[in-house]
Amino acid sequence: MQLSLYVPGKTWVHRLDPITKLLAVLVAVVLTFVLPGFFSQAGILLVSLAMLGSAGVLRRAAPVLAGVFILPLTFFVVQGLVYPGNVHPAVALGPVVFYREGLLLGLSLTLRLYNILSAALILVLVTRPSDLVEALVRRGAPPRLGYVMIAVLQIIPIMVASTQTILDAQRSRGMETEGSLWVRIRAFLPLMGPLVTNSLISTEERALALEVRGFAGGGKRTFLKDEQIPPYAMAMRILVLAALVLGIGGRWLWGWR
Amino acid sequence: MQAKAWKANFTTLTIVLIPVAVGINYVGKFFAATLKLPLWLDSIGTVLSGMLAGPWIGAISGAVNNAIFGITLDPVSFWYLITSIMIGLVVGYLAFTGWIRTPGRALVLGLVVAGVAAVVSTPINVLLWHGQTGNVWGDALYAALVHRGTPVWIASFLDEAVVDILDKVITVFLSFLIYKALPARLVKLFGGAHQEVESL
Amino acid sequence: MALIEVQDLRYRYPDQQGLALDGISFSVEPGEFVGIIGPNRAGKSTLCQALVGLVPHFYKGAIGGRVVADGLDVHKHPVAEVARRVGLVFQNPFTQISGAKFTVYEEVAFGLENAGVPREEMIPRIEEALRLLGLEELKDRSPFALSGGQMQRLAIASVLAMRPKVLVLDEPTSQLDPEGTGEVFAAMAALCRQGMAVVVAEHKVERLAPLAGKILVLHAGRRVAFDSPRRVFAREDLPALGVAVPPVTEAARRLGWRFEDGTYPVTTEEAEELARKNLVAAGGGGGGRG
Ligand SMILES: Nc1ncnc2c1ncn2[C@@H]1O[C@H](COP(=O)(O)OP(=O)(O)O)[C@@H](O)[C@H]1O
Ligand SMILES: [Mg+2]
Repeated sequence: MQLSLYVPGKTWVHRLDPITKLLAVLVAVVLTFVLPGFFSQAGILLVSLAMLGSAGVLRRAAPVLAGVFILPLTFFVVQGLVYPGNVHPAVALGPVVFYREGLLLGLSLTLRLYNILSAALILVLVTRPSDLVEALVRRGAPPRLGYVMIAVLQIIPIMVASTQTILDAQRSRGMETEGSLWVRIRAFLPLMGPLVTNSLISTEERALALEVRGFAGGGKRTFLKDEQIPPYAMAMRILVLAALVLGIGGRWLWGWR
Repeated sequence: MQAKAWKANFTTLTIVLIPVAVGINYVGKFFAATLKLPLWLDSIGTVLSGMLAGPWIGAISGAVNNAIFGITLDPVSFWYLITSIMIGLVVGYLAFTGWIRTPGRALVLGLVVAGVAAVVSTPINVLLWHGQTGNVWGDALYAALVHRGTPVWIASFLDEAVVDILDKVITVFLSFLIYKALPARLVKLFGGAHQEVESL
Repeated sequence: MALIEVQDLRYRYPDQQGLALDGISFSVEPGEFVGIIGPNRAGKSTLCQALVGLVPHFYKGAIGGRVVADGLDVHKHPVAEVARRVGLVFQNPFTQISGAKFTVYEEVAFGLENAGVPREEMIPRIEEALRLLGLEELKDRSPFALSGGQMQRLAIASVLAMRPKVLVLDEPTSQLDPEGTGEVFAAMAALCRQGMAVVVAEHKVERLAPLAGKILVLHAGRRVAFDSPRRVFAREDLPALGVAVPPVTEAARRLGWRFEDGTYPVTTEEAEELARKNLVAAGGGGGGRG
């Protein structure tokens, strides 16, 4: 299992440095809240999707975007039915009436969800996690926090791999993992306990091993890799910030939505 | 005692605990899903790290958990960062004041954590999704309440609370059992019980 | 001057009554290979950790005596600083992987980044460490995708890249299969041949005996002996202390095959040499047939 969804590549979006991408993503998310109107939302979504497309990862984005479908579904159903501002009936399925106001709210919530998702996917699919962390540490983020972030990405696949071993071992000892709710609840602790206890115990030796490699040193640190920032990154940053200023200005000066 | 509970406890050992805590969260969620339990059980690691290393490490474990899942598998979880942080803080604080001693208190702590989680998550739910949680049972309750004219805020809080209570009580209780089973020496090492080197 | 100088070292873990180390003294010279043996809970790990300062800085507790590593008073300096002079490798290969790096090459760089070694200097150091441990071919692999023996060699390489003067290893093969054990012993021997001082706590005395210049025997936190392998393994009290003796030595003792100084052979080579001598002595009158 691989926790990171990163898709390696050489497109211009891949080569863009992590900080510029992070900035773009933050601006996209802020703008979805600043400009909640239908057309603005659709516009921002199109830009994000276009970035994903030119990075060649739309295909990898699709399952993620589709995977959350249950959320928009509940938006439409619940808001369509019970949104307090509901006035005009739109669709009636027998006795159940969906209202226009609620459905429109559902649509705008859905657009917001997909905006947040697609923007985040630019970072998730097109940026190597360790590059992002390293870029942040170079700019003064605490190195120990950087360690934590990367270690999480490595530790989870390893722990997941051991879950299968534990499941097999416990099943072969006759543990029931199917059946009534009570049976399944009782199985949880014997599965979790040993794995949790062992991983907590082994933190001691890992901490010792990190200490002898200067982890707690706190002096000036250096980096094995050189940072690569393409020439067009600056232009991109300026463009993104301009969009932010324009969006905020538009909202409060000219009443854009 | 209270001043000590908020003392920073950032050692190599407690830093190394954070990724392990996030891993434990994930494994808990994984086993709950494998066993088809109607619970999430995805914050056992955060609770344990608070119990072992105090409020700050608990809070950071919670934050890192949601930040990492936010930028990898589940972007929406980023928004509930604050909820996770609060869980770690509350558990860590109460653990470090020495309050959590008995299984009975662990159950009470579970209720406290559920309450805190619901209070913190509600504004997020309202801001993001007009108060829904995306959990089928909770949202059914929400729909029924809003339909009867209950304000969105209250409906949303109950939506979240219904989902949280059982989950958090069980999460905290299981964490307590695991915590009690750890070697005392290790628990003290995590807690930073010894700060000075004496000379012989 | 000795690279490591331990004088009357005493240490007690927090909340404990007894001393884990009780009046230990010994020294390690440049290029020397020192083995540490003793039964479980004798204090081997505690001593190894005391050589880099994890005892007492990591565990706290109570300490007495002195440890000087390459001129640095270990009790007065942080672990990160001592670690540039004394490298420490632990038992479990898996827990020593930092988890912060995605390839073997980057893993070796981890300690150098922490220590602030300039980038130009890092690369030759990493490459040298990988070469010495025979890991060049694996440099782009994930550290977690290695075998136990390879992982342990990676742990050694990672510590080695810090260019310590002494390499300390605490039962580095106890979790490895015979193949991995062979790899690690070969690596230690090679490093020692290149002039690195090596200190290793180890149960596999038959592998230790041919390499070690000196052996330190610990029991209940006390030093029982610190001498050449031949003299150490000639002691009558080892079995009673729960300390293993190489099988060759055991056999020779039963057969009464001794060197002139009263010691027994500790390696098969020595046993063969002794056998040849005995044969010559025994068969002296009858005329050699070979
Ligand atoms: N972290 C610790 N806290 C308290 N006691 C310890 C700790 N580690 C080891 N000890 C005790 O110190 C003694 C020496 O242990 P150790 O150095 O691990 O021996 P060895 O490595 O030779 O097996 C034992 O009595 C052991 O129980
Ligand atoms: Mg040991």
